[in-house]
Amino acid sequence: MAGVVKAFGEVTAVDKVDLTVSPGTLTALLGPNGAGKTTLVRIIATLTRPDAGLVRVLGYDVIAQPAQVRAHIGLTGQYAGLDEALRGRDNLVLIGRLAGLRRRQAYQRAAELAGTFGLTDAMGRAVRTYSGGMRRRLDLAASLMTRPALLVLDEPTTGLDPASRQQLWAVLAQMRAEGTTMLLTTQYLEEADRFADVVHVLHRGQIVASGTAAQLKALVGGQMAEIRLDDPAASSAASRVLARRLSLPAGEIRTDTGAGRLTLAARDGTTTLLAAAAALAADGIAVADLGLRQPSLDEAFLALTGVTA
Amino acid sequence: MTAAVSCRVARDSALIAGRQLLVLRMNPSRLIYPLVQPLVLLVLFVSVLGNLAVTRHAAAGSYREFLIPGIIIQNAVLTAPTTGLALLRDAGSGLADRFRSLPMSRAAVLIGRLASDALIFAVQAVLLLAAADLLGFRVRARLPGLVGIVAVAVAFGLSVAVTTAWLALLIKDPETAERVLFFPAIAIAFLSSAFAPVGELAGWMQPIARANPVTAAVSLIRSVASVGPAAFPLMQLGCWVAGLLLVPGVLAVRRWQEPS
Repeated sequence: MAGVVKAFGEVTAVDKVDLTVSPGTLTALLGPNGAGKTTLVRIIATLTRPDAGLVRVLGYDVIAQPAQVRAHIGLTGQYAGLDEALRGRDNLVLIGRLAGLRRRQAYQRAAELAGTFGLTDAMGRAVRTYSGGMRRRLDLAASLMTRPALLVLDEPTTGLDPASRQQLWAVLAQMRAEGTTMLLTTQYLEEADRFADVVHVLHRGQIVASGTAAQLKALVGGQMAEIRLDDPAASSAASRVLARRLSLPAGEIRTDTGAGRLTLAARDGTTTLLAAAAALAADGIAVADLGLRQPSLDEAFLALTGVTA
Repeated sequence: MTAAVSCRVARDSALIAGRQLLVLRMNPSRLIYPLVQPLVLLVLFVSVLGNLAVTRHAAAGSYREFLIPGIIIQNAVLTAPTTGLALLRDAGSGLADRFRSLPMSRAAVLIGRLASDALIFAVQAVLLLAAADLLGFRVRARLPGLVGIVAVAVAFGLSVAVTTAWLALLIKDPETAERVLFFPAIAIAFLSSAFAPVGELAGWMQPIARANPVTAAVSLIRSVASVGPAAFPLMQLGCWVAGLLLVPGVLAVRRWQEPS
């Protein structure tokens, strides 16, 4: 897609976005709530019409050829596209048949997917009795009834407990290994990091960074050094000391005076961490704890956009 | 191409109708209200009003004979908004996005819903006619007459149902829609010859009642039951049904598929 714009009233949800998804890869759109992820996904799935720009999905134009686009994609939206009053099997068969499968094909495919997704025993139960994780898996299975060339997933793991999330990840990893082209949106850096071949960071409707997870982390500045002081009251003084001795601009150091915690990008890994500890010791500021950790999504956003996510 | 498209519409509509019927089979409690309510209303209306003989019409036959066709059509009017509300509920769910992202026929969502609702209208009419028979309502032409009355109730009910579908999708908010749809449903039932001959109504009501499709449907049922002249109400109802199925029908489908 190129130059895609979509506004709702005064709010520009998607602002001149260019995006390409290569076949056989998993592309992640990473961003906080309101970044425009869902709008982008809905444009690709022909559910929302872009105001400007060109969107081609597998060679078909989303505005001129929506039927062809729909015939080749699978969508798992943020809200389960299932009929709660029907059984799991009924849902899969109905959706498969509406997508064009014949009766027998639909039943076969439903049984096959139920096996893959660990839902075989639940197929005869009404969806309203399903747990959140089962519902997501059934919804994903429904999107796969026709083996779509492109699978679009909008925050597939949001709202799931850790065990369900793990299960869903396992299924996505398997699909990725099978070569399904996928585009997924997520709020979790960890998720993008773990699966995506390419990550696009979306902020206020614009793509502010693109690359592999490793490239993005390098952009953020790799690891973060986190120092907790004995005495929270010394936070401001400690921040000034670090800025002076490590010759950092004051804005590079985040200070949480309440917790007595200082965070800065550890550009040289442990060397930065040790230098910071030495600097504080030299000024007689006692350190309770210190360590290196991966940047959080908040920090990634801070580094990439200059604003807190 | 056209043949392929209409084949697709028919197939997808049948699938959607099948979904509705399966939901009812899985959740039979949802059938209690639409099947019991009409019978209760019939008994209440006939018990309260059935023995009145205050109208000029009463000279020709009992008021009961006059009232029962009115109740059959009133029931269709009161049932029709459930179509619009059900469609609106679907429209706001993740299922609507699922349907919209499938390469299925756009019209099938409405046509399939109407097809399953037609069955409900038909079952309601049959139940009402059976109960009416026990209350002394006689249909002269027997079977063809009964089939005709059921057909009138279904055709009329669907034309109102499709209108509520369009209105519900226009209103968007389910709670507002519920109020907005049921109130006029009651009003159009009263602004007709359902409960009193047009000539007995307040003067300002008479032109409205004469144009009202409820009047056409009720008159047609009365004519069928008594083997009276049916040509005029049949033509009037036919125009209404065709117009409502076509215009609000097309608008409702457009409204459903419209990308936001």
